[in-house]
Amino acid sequence: MSIQFKSITELRVMLDEKVISPLELIQESHQLAKNFKELNCFVTMNEDFSKKKASSIDLDKKNDSLLLGIPLAQKDLFCTEGLRTTCSSKILSNFFPPYTATAVKKLEDAGSITIGKTNMDEFAMGSSNETSFFGNVHNPWKKGYVPGGSSGGSASVVAAGIVPAATGTDTGGSIRQPAAHCGITGLKPTYGRISRWGMIAFASSLDQAGPLARTAEDCAILLSTMSGHDPKDTTSLNVEVPNFLSELNKPIKGLKIGIIKEFNLGDLDKEVQARFEESKKIYEMLGAEFVDVSLPNISASVPTYYSIAPAECSSNLSRFDGVRFGHRAQDADDLNDLYIKSRSEGFGDEVKRRILIGTYALSAGYYDAYYKKAQQVRRLIKNDFDHVFESVDILMTPTSPSTAFEFGSKGAQNPVELYLEDLFTISSNLAGLPAMSIPHGQVNSLPVGLQLIGNFLREDQLLNAAHVFQQNTEFHLARPNMEDFK
Amino acid sequence: MDQETVRTICYLARLEIDEEKSEKIQNDLETIIELISNLQSVDTSNIEPLYSPLEMTALKHEDVEQSDNKKEKFLENAPASNDDYFLVPRVVE
Repeated sequence: MSIQFKSITELRVMLDEKVISPLELIQESHQLAKNFKELNCFVTMNEDFSKKKASSIDLDKKNDSLLLGIPLAQKDLFCTEGLRTTCSSKILSNFFPPYTATAVKKLEDAGSITIGKTNMDEFAMGSSNETSFFGNVHNPWKKGYVPGGSSGGSASVVAAGIVPAATGTDTGGSIRQPAAHCGITGLKPTYGRISRWGMIAFASSLDQAGPLARTAEDCAILLSTMSGHDPKDTTSLNVEVPNFLSELNKPIKGLKIGIIKEFNLGDLDKEVQARFEESKKIYEMLGAEFVDVSLPNISASVPTYYSIAPAECSSNLSRFDGVRFGHRAQDADDLNDLYIKSRSEGFGDEVKRRILIGTYALSAGYYDAYYKKAQQVRRLIKNDFDHVFESVDILMTPTSPSTAFEFGSKGAQNPVELYLEDLFTISSNLAGLPAMSIPHGQVNSLPVGLQLIGNFLREDQLLNAAHVFQQNTEFHLARPNMEDFK
Repeated sequence: MDQETVRTICYLARLEIDEEKSEKIQNDLETIIELISNLQSVDTSNIEPLYSPLEMTALKHEDVEQSDNKKEKFLENAPASNDDYFLVPRVVE
């Protein structure tokens, strides 16, 4: 029986009923990765170590972990001890971390097996996975089309059914938008829910790790494992972690869902709009009630984000100087020249653009006008959310204004064109709120995603709303035929 | 944004831009600055900046010595090092 397209829950049954051994499962997962090498999902494979770990698993020994023996892929932004971690950048192309990120360590301690590190936009800066030093990732639904980004490799590898789930990170939509473009389920948890220790920082006040999987149920399993307080991350929340799996399957009768007036959904592609209306009807049939809500400042999210994120990025990426780790230029005249040459050779164009914008926004004379101003608008946006969550349980929007697009077709002339891809996703990062994307049909044979935004620490409500939808529909079961990749 | 400003920012960020790309970069930066300049129209008088979604004080932990020094492991990643230090071009003649 093929393991392709199986969920964690299905693989768990196959392992427990001894239909397949942990080693066979890992071998098959590696074989699928090889068969679909052309997708370019992986930057580095972990074949020898993962097979060794699989061989050491004894399923007869009592263990309650649902992840025991389950193959996973990790976004190449999480440090993994002894396993190359590049952030899809030339500057880290030969970096072997001395430690493992807390989020990955928790998954591995639960018995899951990392089969490889996934391709991504360089330093997570991008919405199409086209800024990777290691080349574009294909969308399994259509060759030559983007998987979305920045967690494009993780979304593609799950959509292709090579692994049941993968980790991602989301600074402005980097889990949800690729999940939408690839027809899978992705969750960005509340800021602080999962430790950021060992995650290579892009914008520290926005970055959050989370799962990409085939179902909301699998996302619940991963979230329960990845969450929890970590003394090594000062922004990690010290709150109780619910068992998100046991919070599923609650009736959603009376669930109040807000529709954000300011998003002018009438301006969207008619088909994207049609899928949205259909999903609203499904939720209504399931007993949910819709309310129009207003978030007066939400239209300022894109400029707010593109002021704050580059500012934090320019500060975070100053650590790449060619001295302690990463690429070093060969022919530097002095120390200053070493910094300039190493960074200029090591970073790609989009990363340079964002560092420059951030440097500008933080420089003397502009700090108040751009950086501080953006942080003030950010508070207004958060206040708007606080206000609407007094009267609704969750908010619903499309995840992205469009479907996956052809390589090179957006943003080449004008970077802002690609920035608008993030229109619906970035406000939840600014406010620190949990949000997820679930597949809800197709437009022109490409998947589209439905975004649910929840109140602070209410991932349980989001996951339940997504799970109930998936229990009553079959959108999440659609699979790409992959003919072009064989 | 003029060429001179671009050169200054590049120096502050310790980045060098290829000659043939400099005009494109200048245009891109202008477009992005134009985008973020839209914020000026939002009234933010008397609004405190929100620097992090979690407005809480960082937790303190006991100041105890830890012995997980991984000097050798960290030096392995250095482009140039000796037994104890990262090596860089000579700074003081």
